[in-house]
Amino acid sequence: MLKHSFCLIRVRCLAVAGLLAVTASAASAESVVRIGMTAADIPRTLGQPDQGFEGNRFTGNTMYDGLTQWDLSSADKASVVIPALATEWAVDPNDKTKWIFKLRPGVKFHDGSDFNADAVVWNVEKVLKQDAPHFDASQVGVTASRMPNLRSARKIDDLTVELTTAAPDALLPINLTNLFMASPAQWKKLYDAASATDPKEKAKQAWDAFSRNASGTGAWKMDKFVPRERLEVVKNAAYWDKNRVPKVDRLVMLPMPEPNARTAALLSGQVDWVENPAPDALPQIKQRGFVIYQNEQPHVWPWQFSRIEGSPWNDIRVRKAANLCVDRNAMKDGLLSGLMVPATGTFEPGHPWRGNPKFQIKYDPNEARRLMTEAGFSKDKKLKVKTQTSASGSGQMLPLPMNEFLQQSLAECFFDVELDVIEWNTLFTNWRKGAKDESARGSHAINVTYAAMDPFFAMIRFLDSKMAPPVSNNWGFINDPEFDKLVAAVRTAFDPAERDKALAALHERSVDEATFLYVAHDVGPRAMSPKIKGFVQPKSWFVDFSTMTMN
Amino acid sequence: MSVITQDIVQPGPATRTRGYWAGVLRRLVRDPVSVACAIVLLLIVLAAILAPWLGLHDPYQGSMIRRLRPIGTPGYPLGTDELGRDMLSRLVYGGRLTLYIGLLPVGLAFLIGTSLGIIAGYVGGLVNQAIMRTIDVFYAFPSVLLAVAISGALGAGIFNSLLSLTIVFIPPIVRVAESVTTSVRSLDFVDAARASGAGQLTIMRVHVLGNVLGPIFVYATSLISVCMILAAGLSFLGLGTKPPEPEWGLMLNTLRTAIYINPWVAALPGVMIFVVSICFNLLSDGLRSAMDVRS
Amino acid sequence: MLVYIAKRIVFAIPVVFAVALVCFLLVHIAPGDPLISVLPPDASQALADQMRREYGFDRPLPVQFGIWLWNALHGNLGLSIASGRSVTEEVLRAVGNTLMLAVTASVIGFAFGLLFGILAGYYRDSWIDRLVTTISITGVSMPHYWLGMVLVIVFSVILGWLPAVGMGPGGWSWDWEHIQYLILPAITMSVIPMGIVSRTVRALVGDLLSQEFVLALRAKGLSEARVFQHVLKNAAPTAVAVMGLQLGYLLGGSILIETVFSWPGTGFLLNSAIFQRDLPLLQGTILVLALFFVVLNLIVDVAQAAIDPRIKRA
Repeated sequence: MLKHSFCLIRVRCLAVAGLLAVTASAASAESVVRIGMTAADIPRTLGQPDQGFEGNRFTGNTMYDGLTQWDLSSADKASVVIPALATEWAVDPNDKTKWIFKLRPGVKFHDGSDFNADAVVWNVEKVLKQDAPHFDASQVGVTASRMPNLRSARKIDDLTVELTTAAPDALLPINLTNLFMASPAQWKKLYDAASATDPKEKAKQAWDAFSRNASGTGAWKMDKFVPRERLEVVKNAAYWDKNRVPKVDRLVMLPMPEPNARTAALLSGQVDWVENPAPDALPQIKQRGFVIYQNEQPHVWPWQFSRIEGSPWNDIRVRKAANLCVDRNAMKDGLLSGLMVPATGTFEPGHPWRGNPKFQIKYDPNEARRLMTEAGFSKDKKLKVKTQTSASGSGQMLPLPMNEFLQQSLAECFFDVELDVIEWNTLFTNWRKGAKDESARGSHAINVTYAAMDPFFAMIRFLDSKMAPPVSNNWGFINDPEFDKLVAAVRTAFDPAERDKALAALHERSVDEATFLYVAHDVGPRAMSPKIKGFVQPKSWFVDFSTMTMN
Repeated sequence: MSVITQDIVQPGPATRTRGYWAGVLRRLVRDPVSVACAIVLLLIVLAAILAPWLGLHDPYQGSMIRRLRPIGTPGYPLGTDELGRDMLSRLVYGGRLTLYIGLLPVGLAFLIGTSLGIIAGYVGGLVNQAIMRTIDVFYAFPSVLLAVAISGALGAGIFNSLLSLTIVFIPPIVRVAESVTTSVRSLDFVDAARASGAGQLTIMRVHVLGNVLGPIFVYATSLISVCMILAAGLSFLGLGTKPPEPEWGLMLNTLRTAIYINPWVAALPGVMIFVVSICFNLLSDGLRSAMDVRS
Repeated sequence: MLVYIAKRIVFAIPVVFAVALVCFLLVHIAPGDPLISVLPPDASQALADQMRREYGFDRPLPVQFGIWLWNALHGNLGLSIASGRSVTEEVLRAVGNTLMLAVTASVIGFAFGLLFGILAGYYRDSWIDRLVTTISITGVSMPHYWLGMVLVIVFSVILGWLPAVGMGPGGWSWDWEHIQYLILPAITMSVIPMGIVSRTVRALVGDLLSQEFVLALRAKGLSEARVFQHVLKNAAPTAVAVMGLQLGYLLGGSILIETVFSWPGTGFLLNSAIFQRDLPLLQGTILVLALFFVVLNLIVDVAQAAIDPRIKRA
């Protein structure tokens, strides 16, 4: 065994050495941007990435397109859904579960095959049709939950498809940003080349091969892929959107889960761009001439209140008091080196779904204490509350320091906060079990952060009484007919303007009701070499890698 | 490690009386390095035990305003950590947990491993085979791997760390105990005792225990520093103590990002682990030569 | 000799099976959902059940173990849940990277350990001896993950001489572009074996020098160089054996250093397998590492027996 492995390395080394010699000579004139990601592994490259939205950012949006996409062109405006591989779409006025999507003509996959209605049907079936030869269970989990209502696809003509949902769902076009179009022709070629005889095994092999020889329609083409080490993509000069043909020749993505390792790699010139540098390293990073980019992200760092019987948060005065008692700016500057946006709701002013909440979330400890006194609490009679949180976790920012900050702040307003710190995965699982479950250990609030890009994930799953555990994440069992009515209105608002209005009304009420303790929005900080120019950080989890240049 | 095992199998003098132990102590006290280490360790242990009465700051109470103060800040002689908690206080309190998870597994493994080893060595036969072959399986895992695998499977937490470290240190101790016992068992004086009609238990207690405990004890003390480093390493990986408990390995982990602002404060927990571990190593060496066990 | 080797191998077989069982049980007694990395938090129960069937986690444990063992015997450790890639392939690639690191560290550790040990053994109780003893005890007492962090700060961040993390621009070749990535982690890793080898060699050389045959050789008027040769010849087997075992510990214990340096080896793999709860990957990695250790132990034992026929332990 020992000997075998030695040989293995040797062969690989020789092969790679040869390859390097070839690419090195060609690479001299090439512009390259090297990125340190926070993921521990390269997100999956076969079309449906794992590793959450960081996966979509790096291996989804780069090499693939969906039927729809997020507009990432502006740093100021809210990012909205715009056409991508579909040019227009509409719901069937007679049957609101059927949608017609018109496809963009003349688009080709990286392998040269055509993108058409067959490709769309094939890509829907890869995750939804269990008896399809190319059905892949491993891609279902990350995809199905992001488009919970899509059921099937049917070709009408080469450039028209009909999509069917389980129930009328106005949010389908937003969901479809998560379904990436992989090349059926490329997959078929790899399937035929696979060595297994059992069709299921053969399909598994084909998908594995596809992940190493990816082919989508995206602005970047896969060039080199070393699992767990690096992914290199090169620009797709024939990209269908001429405005988004990359200006940089090559992107190199490296997994660096350890924040210090990322910072050290940036400072030692090993990479040109790191995601999420450690806040404490920012002064050093700036001092060395690197540039920090950040922008408000559709992300919320909250305490989600329990509303079951006996929970102290059932009193709206208490909920409002907590929201008024936190000096979010002090947290931002003192603790996070400026890397957060104070939250005054799920969406901030300027967002089409913000609405006009009457309850103004700000730092007003006197008003908070007044509300608490009114609710019957005082310096000597503190309100005991317990919050479940984790010591780490994706999107949790700095959970412990931030929660301890809240603990100290709320103490000023007659709260006595107990923190129940548990492991991140357990916390995540508990989130689905609800406040009544044993796993909550009597907590009155849970601190799980969430992405707020899609209305379902941003609001509906927390506010709709039908979304109470075990169905979804209405952890606190909010049961308010008014919320249910507003949610129903959202789902059936098929006109985009009408839909935005319905969402704004839902958001307005959620703030006025102080449904959460809204604390912070993440800002997706990234540190870059000053040589990178023309980069725009939108108000999104995603970025457009096409616009930047590298001197 | 099997090499070490071999060398330790040195049957001592036929009977080890009180005079022998007094001699060991006398030799140990004459060694300045051992004495110095013992004093340092004693101070650290005392500080850890007496922590609540030393008038230190609350090790859990932080403040965002005074986070990451440098060493020498008035009121905070060793600075503050990433949450503005007093480093001196956290290092002292951290000593409790660190020493606890560094010493207890070796202690437990010493008890369990010695018992198993002596039984295997003295009874022999099938019992020996059953015990030793089981031990072989665990011995087939490198120690760090085994500790990480068990802690990784069970999840983070003090109890799980203690459990995984104890399991890690039982096999080497059983091996040493078994080989020492086997060699002592075949010595003349045991045969003589048996011939003179002494009961099995008496033989085991007086002769076997008396002659084998020394070498095993020396061996176990040499494991303490390994255990300390490993325990702190588990916490460092996020597989040991959970925040906000003060523990040196975990402190090293959470202070990592502060290394750019305040490297000296961030280095302190590592220094503490190093000092304690080197003292245990030197003391173990001193003990070894004082007891005249070949290394 | 052949009989001895055959006997050792036969004895090793049940150990290997038991090791496989321990690996499997360790991973499966673990609490938590094995599909957590692929199942979204808001997956429905039906989806969860379907996935469980697809991955075979709905079968009884003994059946799962049987299937896994049978496949493992054929070199197939299953597919990673998180990445969908073959575990065998993932582990072998990682083992290659870790081996490179561990072997380099062993060579450094062995070379310096031997040098220091001989010097100290020769000049016993001199200042050299004290210096070497200090170095070696420092080596074994140092939390090496901490040393790694300090080296990164000094040599990568402050001085900018060496890269901080990773293993370079893809693939591997023995040129500076790649080797510079190996230096810091290898030095960090070599500290413990250096300490242990130098301690062992020092004791060996000291012992040998005080033995009668050396005195006899000296009395015969043999030159110091020849005496030294004799001592070296006698000390070498043990030193090599110690180093061989150390290599095993380095392979299995690389997780801390690989985490600090983001070195894509087995430790790094283990770390992500643990935190993603990727059971096939976790048990596969542990199994391969444990097997390496078993084989290495076997080789060391056999080699020792070959050099010195007196050591034929059962």
